[in-house]
Amino acid sequence: MKKSAFIVPIIVLLGAVVMSSVFIVDERQKALVLQFGQIKQVKETPGLGFKLPLIQEVVRYDDRILSIDTDPIEVTPSDDRRLIVDAFARYRIADVVRFRQAVGLGGEAAAESRLQSILNPQIRAVLGSEGVTSNTILSADRSELMARITSQARTRAAALGLEVIDVRLKQTALPDQNLEATFARMRADREREAADEIARGQEAAQRVRASADRTVVELVSEATRDAEVTRGEADALRNGIFAEAFGADQEFFEFYRSLTAYERALQGSNSTMVLSPDSDFFDYLKSDQPRATNR
Amino acid sequence: MASNNGGPWGSGPRGGGGDNDDDRKPANRRPGDGPQIPEIDELMKKGQEQLRVLMGGRGGNRGPGGTGGGSGGPTFGRGTVGIAALAVLGLWVFSSFYTVRPEEQSVELFLGKYSATGGPGLNFAPWPLVTAEVVPVTREQTEQIGLGGPGGRVDEGLMLTTDENIVDIDFEVVWNISDPAKYLFNLRDARQTIRAVSESAMREVIARSELSPILNRDRDAIATTVLELIQTTLNSYDSGMNIVRLNLDKADPPREVIDSFREVQAAEQTRDTLQRQADAYANQVVAGARGESARLLEEAEAYRAQVVNEASGEASRFTAVLQEYIKAPEVTRKRLYLETMETVLGGVDKIILDNQNGAGGQGVVPYLPLNELRRNTTTTGAGN
Repeated sequence: MKKSAFIVPIIVLLGAVVMSSVFIVDERQKALVLQFGQIKQVKETPGLGFKLPLIQEVVRYDDRILSIDTDPIEVTPSDDRRLIVDAFARYRIADVVRFRQAVGLGGEAAAESRLQSILNPQIRAVLGSEGVTSNTILSADRSELMARITSQARTRAAALGLEVIDVRLKQTALPDQNLEATFARMRADREREAADEIARGQEAAQRVRASADRTVVELVSEATRDAEVTRGEADALRNGIFAEAFGADQEFFEFYRSLTAYERALQGSNSTMVLSPDSDFFDYLKSDQPRATNR
Repeated sequence: MASNNGGPWGSGPRGGGGDNDDDRKPANRRPGDGPQIPEIDELMKKGQEQLRVLMGGRGGNRGPGGTGGGSGGPTFGRGTVGIAALAVLGLWVFSSFYTVRPEEQSVELFLGKYSATGGPGLNFAPWPLVTAEVVPVTREQTEQIGLGGPGGRVDEGLMLTTDENIVDIDFEVVWNISDPAKYLFNLRDARQTIRAVSESAMREVIARSELSPILNRDRDAIATTVLELIQTTLNSYDSGMNIVRLNLDKADPPREVIDSFREVQAAEQTRDTLQRQADAYANQVVAGARGESARLLEEAEAYRAQVVNEASGEASRFTAVLQEYIKAPEVTRKRLYLETMETVLGGVDKIILDNQNGAGGQGVVPYLPLNELRRNTTTTGAGN
């Protein structure tokens, strides 16, 4: 009875010792084994690790890619326009030993503020450097600028044991006071475009109308010409017909036509004739003798 | 995250047990999130509870009964120990199996090291050496960007174009997991990363585009470019995430200037209206002119017909009369003359003066007040 009372605590104690001398490092982690604050072992690959119980402790760090968003900062590119810029960085703890030494017990929170203070000046420096205008930032060169910020930040962050994977600009916006001016310009642009649209509409309309008017004149005049041609032909034909018919006896035609003309010309009551009774018409008015003897 | 197990004393049995517990939980809880039968969940919780008690027992609290069975403890009989052992075994088996639903995959870790990816069905992960995490692989997840959602700024959607205009963009990124192991092990905050990358990519593409194409014809091209850019960036993180599609919900001018854009649209309408009105006018007058032309031509044709017909008629009449005249010229001539004079003189005012009587110098002096005569007959042209 007394023996077993000792055995059990011993087993328990042994179990505790074994448990505290192994540790598991997850796929997502890297670990440092510290002995009274001194780095004794670096475990960067996942799996089972061993340490001395009680006097050594395991500190784990995240091995995944971490992110940080920078606060919006105002940068002044070389054309003196101001832009509000923020960025985000992806980084990973590459060298746990250096990270531990640089950051100490602060861990990731401390690392973030250190990285923030690296990134902001880098962004300012690159975006404010010679030859970089706001037009450069707002162009396809943007990715090249981001690459420059990344490479500079990478060098600086390596001292913290951090590997900066990339820095990407997010917002590149105008400050509030410039925003209103930009809106005003956009409005003016649109108004110009609207006026232009209407003017073009009027131009086109006028063009169409003028062309239509011209077509009208052309059509009518062509038709008039053709009509006159037709009339001329008709008149010619008429002359031909008359010439053929009347040519048969010219003297009789003159006589006959004269009679027709008299009849037509002297129609109505608006004519007054002063006649001499000597005319042939009155031959028998004076006598019943044949005309030849009478004369 | 740096996890500190506490002081040297803290990393004793509690630390070891705590580790196991941490690793177990995801495997057991994740499937439990879904439509799992509550009893199983309950049972599992109970099992874990008992497991902990038993471990504790091994740890020392009730040690005398558990391990010292051979010495015949006073509290537990053989049967009780057997049942307890069976229960422990059953629990172990139960907690080592886990199910993976069709849209999921599991990632198994052997002592924290990646060992395998498991497909749908019943999977076996012998606890505590192997732990498993289940992630939804094919399920599509969406991120709304530009609406200023949780964590987003109100003006998140306002982006500056290369011609320094501002455009308001809302879009939606739909993604799923292409490689669960990479997804779990390479990125800490996948959602936040995808939001940041998407916003950055969209702003980058917008920053090199001009305003007006963004608003209409380049929308599809922008969506494609941004999608590719996001995917490339995520691949550079080895994130195991796949962008399924990108929906560009809104690409509009900002609220402050949208009225002006509407005015432009109104102006475009006005332009169209003006053109259509002009077209209508043109159609009308040209058609009118065509009608007029046709009328002129028809009139000319009519004139031709009339003139020719009349001429033919007159000619025929003359010819007919001529035929008769040739047969009896004198008579016909006289008759025609008399008939005509009859008609002519029948209708006019006549004054007949005998010249012979007046020729001798005596008799009436013919005073003919022509003007008055004409005034009687006509009212106009009297002075001429």
